[in-house]
Amino acid sequence: MKRLSLIMAIMAAPALCLAETPNILIPGIVDGHILPRFQALSDSTRALSETAQTDCDPTSEGLRAAYGTAFDAWVSASHLRFGPSETDDRAFALAFWPDSRGATPKALSILLSQQDPIVSSVEDYAQVSIAARGFYALEFLLYDDALKVAGEPSYHCQLVQTISADIAATSQNILDDWQTTYATTTQNPSPDGLYRTNEEVLQEMFKSLSAGLQFTSESRLGRPLGTFDRPRPARAEVRRSGRSSEHVKLSLQSLQDLAAFLANDNDDLSVKLASGFNLTLSQLSDLDDPTFASVSEPQTRIKVEIIQQSIEAIRTLVRDELGPTLGVAAGFNALDGD
Amino acid sequence: MAIDMEASNKGRRQFLGGIFAASVVSQVTWADAGSPAFLSAAAKPDGRFVLCGIGEDLQICFERPLPARGHAAAAHPMRPEAVAFARRPGTFAIVIDCVTGQQKAVLAAPEQRHFYGHGAFSSDGRLLFTTENDYEAGRGRIGVWDAHDGYNRIDEWDSGGVGPHDIKQLPGTEILVVANGGIETHPNTGRTKLNIATMAPNLSYVADGRVIETATLPDEMHKNSIRHLAIGHDKKVAFGMQWQGNGPVASLVGVHRMGRPAQLMTASLTAIRDMRGYVGSIALSSDGQIITVTSPRGGLLQQYDVGSAELSQSLAIQDVCGVAAFGNDIIVSSGTGEMRRTVSGVAPLQRHMDIQWDNHLIAITGR
Repeated sequence: MKRLSLIMAIMAAPALCLAETPNILIPGIVDGHILPRFQALSDSTRALSETAQTDCDPTSEGLRAAYGTAFDAWVSASHLRFGPSETDDRAFALAFWPDSRGATPKALSILLSQQDPIVSSVEDYAQVSIAARGFYALEFLLYDDALKVAGEPSYHCQLVQTISADIAATSQNILDDWQTTYATTTQNPSPDGLYRTNEEVLQEMFKSLSAGLQFTSESRLGRPLGTFDRPRPARAEVRRSGRSSEHVKLSLQSLQDLAAFLANDNDDLSVKLASGFNLTLSQLSDLDDPTFASVSEPQTRIKVEIIQQSIEAIRTLVRDELGPTLGVAAGFNALDGD
Repeated sequence: MAIDMEASNKGRRQFLGGIFAASVVSQVTWADAGSPAFLSAAAKPDGRFVLCGIGEDLQICFERPLPARGHAAAAHPMRPEAVAFARRPGTFAIVIDCVTGQQKAVLAAPEQRHFYGHGAFSSDGRLLFTTENDYEAGRGRIGVWDAHDGYNRIDEWDSGGVGPHDIKQLPGTEILVVANGGIETHPNTGRTKLNIATMAPNLSYVADGRVIETATLPDEMHKNSIRHLAIGHDKKVAFGMQWQGNGPVASLVGVHRMGRPAQLMTASLTAIRDMRGYVGSIALSSDGQIITVTSPRGGLLQQYDVGSAELSQSLAIQDVCGVAAFGNDIIVSSGTGEMRRTVSGVAPLQRHMDIQWDNHLIAITGR
């Protein structure tokens, strides 16, 4: 049997050099994981923009609900950081966070106080600071005590409408690129192509998984955790809208879906990954703390730390067991990244 | 009384011993440490971390324990003394007497600072400069330490950018060149990059605490993080980059001289892609003509000809990273324990050791 597979490998080798044979995993991930997420993002952001056109009151239930649905769709797609999402910094234009220097509230305050006419055009608005665009900017305008009432009301309204329309346009551009070219690009690697082999495509998807886990662990949980002596609850992502914990949940659910695709027919690894994700999600649900305010209390802080450790355990599993099956170099220096 | 006398004699012996030792210490040189040509941090098979001195013959001359994984090191230009830096975001660096193996001093990063893993001595060996992160301000700093006074911290300068990594001194000057990688990180969020959309790396030249020149990349290269440096005798600065953008990048290697624009080295798109957007280490041949860069992610070493600004050759080596020039030879090390010396025209010297060599090979100049 061993000899047979060796012979088959030798026979297959020259063919691999010329053209990639279709890979069954990649279309599964593109059609089953990626396209539905960007479709949902495009649909829900269009709905958000339409709602904002008729109802721009920051306290409006309808507007806030449309915003929440669209933001959910983004978080579920936010780990897919390659290709169309990176063209023209689209992903950053949708989601400028963490904002360690407070650039978002600063940029919004300036627009509101100066009544900069740039907000009258969605096309022009794409030229403003990236910090004043996207879901996180809109959160300040809908939920921040100061910024939701700042500036002249009609200007504030126009700013909400323009940012919503800009989000919808950006999301539509990402979907268009996936549908018209990138879905094909990822499924037809060639020596002169953007991807030369199926392995390179799978490694790109693997990177989305590992970077997504890192972001949720280190930023979504790490920023509010701060240190034991100096917890930073005010640094929790989207705490103003009370969505912090929900973002961790949505991102983990999406990453679990992608991990299951990548583990494919490796049953042992699939079981380990599923149990890692399920454990983490149940710990998060038990915590029942929408904004991670509990990081400041030692008794409850430990629960947030345990969730972070559970994600770190998934990261280790992904790096040490899933990575090597996809040909990701796992050397002492290759993993160091410095 | 007898006890007191005994104590007093002991004290005198220690005092005399101290004088004796001091006069010896002032004369010890790198030869007393076995004349190593290079330093490298490494991990041992049992999981311990060490700093090693390595001879021209690629044999280990000494091995000194480190409390955690190291990154780069700095070799004192005269004294057999090495500073081993913890890897980013470490808060300590250890000064090791390479003759006795003893720890001579510990550098602790001040409050709200951490090290980046690199440092450089002034040419007279009096000062040590370290790249640091002022992480609340999101600003790069250079720590200044007095190597003649127990490595006391005596000053701190702006690095001229964000995320400074490698730092070197221009030969025959008191000018430092700093690779400001441009990437903001905060220890609370590990190595998560906080500002990729707006990052702006640069090369800054710093003299006596002032930035005297800044070299930047073209706008479309603003996500190409300048990380590692190699300096020629003629003050030529070769730099290696790490691409943070999407899709392929046009170059990962460049050369700069003060007063001129930066020049990027070119290669075919395929050859650059094989580096996986990542240069881990860089060296410049002593004649200043050949730049060698390594990519552990691509398992690849590449050499560029400075004159033509083009790729001249590639060599696959698994988990390769450390690289240093030795005359016109190049020494490379890898995480698999391999070490090679490539001698032009002669069969390369190659050794395999049961050790994982860490990112950088540091040439010792004061031998």
